[in-house]
Amino acid sequence: MSDNPQHTPRARRGRAPDVFRPGGWVPMREYGEDETVDFAIVGTGAGGGTLACKLAEYGFSVVAFDAGPYFRPLEDFASDESEQTKLYWTDDRIVDGANPLQLGSNNSGKAVGGSTVHFAMVSLRFRPEWFKSRSLLGYGADWPLDWREMWNYYREVEQALKIAGPVNYPWGPPRPRYPYRAHPLNAAARVLAKGCEALGIGWTETPLATLSAPRGLAHPCVYRGFCVAGCSTNAKQSALVTWIPRALAAGAEIRDLAMVGRVEVDAAGRATGVHFHRDGTWHFQRARHVVVAGYAIETPRLLLNSTNGQFPDGLANSSGLVGENLMAQSNQAVWGLMDQEIRSYKGPPSLAITEHWNYEDKGKDFFGGYSYMSQGPLPQLWANTQMAARGLWGARLMSDMQNYNHVAGLKIVGEMLPQENNRVTLADEVDQFGLRIPRVTYSWCDNDKRLIAHALKFMTQALEEADARDIWTQEDDTCHLNGTARMGSDPARSVVNADCRSWDIPNLWICDGSVFPTVGGANPSLTIQAIACRTADRIRDLAGRGELDQPARRRYAAQTAQ
Amino acid sequence: MTEFDTDRGSLNAGLAIAGLLAGSVLLLAAGRAPANGHRNGRAAALPPRRSSRKRPTVVAARRLNRAAGVLAASVLADSSVEHYRGSFKNKAMYTPLIVSASTLATSLHGTADARPAAHWFRDATYLTAAVSGLIGTGFHIYNVGKKVGGFSWQNFFYGAPIGAPMAILLSGLLGFCSERVRESRKGTRPEIFQLPAGRTMAAVIGAGLLGTSGEAGLLHFRGAFHNPFMLLPVTLPPLGAALLGRAALAGPGQQHRATRWWMRVLAAMGFAGVGLHAYGVSRNMGGWRNWSQNILNGPPLPAPPSFAGLALAGLAALELMEDHPDA
Ligand SMILES: Cc1cc2nc3c(=O)[nH]c(=O)nc-3n(C[C@H](O)[C@H](O)[C@H](O)COP(=O)(O)OP(=O)(O)OC[C@H]3O[C@@H](n4cnc5c(N)ncnc54)[C@H](O)[C@@H]3O)c2cc1C
Ligand code: SF4
Repeated sequence: MSDNPQHTPRARRGRAPDVFRPGGWVPMREYGEDETVDFAIVGTGAGGGTLACKLAEYGFSVVAFDAGPYFRPLEDFASDESEQTKLYWTDDRIVDGANPLQLGSNNSGKAVGGSTVHFAMVSLRFRPEWFKSRSLLGYGADWPLDWREMWNYYREVEQALKIAGPVNYPWGPPRPRYPYRAHPLNAAARVLAKGCEALGIGWTETPLATLSAPRGLAHPCVYRGFCVAGCSTNAKQSALVTWIPRALAAGAEIRDLAMVGRVEVDAAGRATGVHFHRDGTWHFQRARHVVVAGYAIETPRLLLNSTNGQFPDGLANSSGLVGENLMAQSNQAVWGLMDQEIRSYKGPPSLAITEHWNYEDKGKDFFGGYSYMSQGPLPQLWANTQMAARGLWGARLMSDMQNYNHVAGLKIVGEMLPQENNRVTLADEVDQFGLRIPRVTYSWCDNDKRLIAHALKFMTQALEEADARDIWTQEDDTCHLNGTARMGSDPARSVVNADCRSWDIPNLWICDGSVFPTVGGANPSLTIQAIACRTADRIRDLAGRGELDQPARRRYAAQTAQ
Repeated sequence: MTEFDTDRGSLNAGLAIAGLLAGSVLLLAAGRAPANGHRNGRAAALPPRRSSRKRPTVVAARRLNRAAGVLAASVLADSSVEHYRGSFKNKAMYTPLIVSASTLATSLHGTADARPAAHWFRDATYLTAAVSGLIGTGFHIYNVGKKVGGFSWQNFFYGAPIGAPMAILLSGLLGFCSERVRESRKGTRPEIFQLPAGRTMAAVIGAGLLGTSGEAGLLHFRGAFHNPFMLLPVTLPPLGAALLGRAALAGPGQQHRATRWWMRVLAAMGFAGVGLHAYGVSRNMGGWRNWSQNILNGPPLPAPPSFAGLALAGLAALELMEDHPDA
């Protein structure tokens, strides 16, 4: 039988790939489709993978579905950017709005492990005030979570992923020591540091989810910089090599190449399981609870595609907010040439960071914050950038590519504000499974533009101070998708509560980047995983108290009556 | 960035390891030679000046030479690998190779030599080693400080290792001390700069153990102590240093049996450390099959024996104190 993981499921017949041993397998518990499992989880990325692990470890029966393949990084990942596009979610989607998003490589993955398989590993905590950005900072929406509680969950995730970070983190309240030490800086990171020092702001080594020392069978990072094309050493602590093996060991089943097309809800308004497509046909898995964790486009798409007579506007959508408030993060850059060789592709792409403008509110003409990091684009991506951002082609492009080894760049991860008009809806076209495809509408607001302008100006100055020449700006790029099923404390203005449980359907949960009410100026995956850990703890506690089947609304009503 | 320049062949690394092995074997073999016998070769070719039959100062001096040699071999191998990794960007990076190689040769000579007289050439080499260790430390401090971020964890972890040149300084000091012990007259207290030789050396070696432990601590902290064995070189040697300190301060006529045993434990740890580091190398991508990269990336194979060198020196000092209670 074919061992092409993109065509034939690997996790079956009681075993799943052992990602640490070439050709190896680990035992996997399997559940029958008629067996009603405690949790059917859609998506195995930062949200779903983490939750599957934690729930299985708490003794729940779990089946986690992923539309993507079950890769073996040691064998399946080539040092070839084109080949590695197999990691992206490139199914048809329609984009529009004033600033249409470019979907695929930079924002969505399709694999067991989700987007973390090719993410850049930057693992940041939120600034505490962001959890209350409406009340404390005057914009966006408040989260129903307390930062102090999150601080503990961040710690749990940092330990689970053996985050390699600086000995002392310069911003925010004290945090425990990162489990592994920071990686050595490459020359690109030193350019960032030099600029920051010249401008008198702080910088540090970026906390990264890649090993700076061995861990079990995973090797430490070899600094070859293929991270966003998938890491073939297992140094990268993706969900695929961290939470998923733990989930399997705790008795979870993973179903790869299993596209969930619909969540079934009965007449009583309770989810009963999921319809999924695998091996060429549709199947149905019964479950007591369904968790949707398909990321900020596929999650609302699935909820909107699961309409029935009782829920004609889609599941969990009484607020009308499913799909709305989609937030990308701005990802603009400034590039320049250095006299000395930089070879920025050596090592993980973002080895140094400044969160100065996340924590400093003076001197801003915009709401929100941004961090900026050193960059390490691989050659093909670099050629694309030159072409898309500067229109270089032919001889100009060839001659500019000669400078590749001397390029240094700074790139922001900037906060974009939630707007209801930025949204995921359903188009009339259908995909290969006959499911309506998502339409993704996106436009920057004035605040977004002011933030970007501020960042570009500041980073240009920083590059100048670091002695770069021929500086140019890359003005249109975004990364990371969030929002579309925001959490909140009011059922009329949010989709799920603090526990990621939908207000409308008591046994339907959403646990991924969709639940963010705001995005901050920090990469989201650590927060997604921390929320998943918290959700698992809440589920365990509710189950322990016999309240797992009590609707979220009843608890809300009880609270508001008090 | 030199830290990542690991893709060239690693002939030097291989040579350095071979050098370390050869050096250790030679030293141990030389150490096994009877303390009172002349061996064939260079030492025997020199005219005997005085009989040295079982003279404790000569025995101690030869042992100290051996210890200095183990340290020098460790420095030779370590600096070859590390400076090769740094592409010998600065010509001065050849210095520790030349100095440690000549110190190693000198210590072999001193280990084999059974005569109770100092040798001007050995003195000169050992002093050169000590001075170059000091200068090297200065260089390394300068290098760390000039990197962006200055004296930060990042630069202490990944910049030039501050502690490494200290090993050649210690090797030189031990060698120099050995010459003073060797030349002391029969019936007099062996002295170094008019201080009792055994106790002075115990103090110096104790300080050396602390320094070396500090360096291992820094680098093992960089490795997040991911393996519990990584705690050994930060716990056992400081205890050894404390024991040596106590021996240095104690009055004459003490046995220091526990201290001697502890030195043996440290020597064993130092040599076993090579094995543990070899295991560490195997845990990098490609394991030993990819040796030419992983020897450079992994924990330094030649580093742990510097503990053995110091522990052997400690033993020599303790035994001298036993033979010469006032030393
Ligand atoms: C190139 C790149 C770099 C990034 N760098 C960073 C970084 O440095 N730091 C950081 O914090 N974040 C980074 N991110 C973002 C981060 O990876 C995501 O925010 C995070 O993985 C989202 O988690 P999630 O669980 O919401 O979704 P994902 O991790 O994307 O997981 C969703 C999974 O659900 C599956 N799925 C979706 N719909 C269905 C369905 N209907 N049926 C079955 N399966 C389905 C998908 O196949 C996918 O595997 C990066 C992302 C990319 C693409
Ligand atoms: S640089 Fe490190 S984390 Fe990135 S792909 Fe290579 S080994 Fe993996």
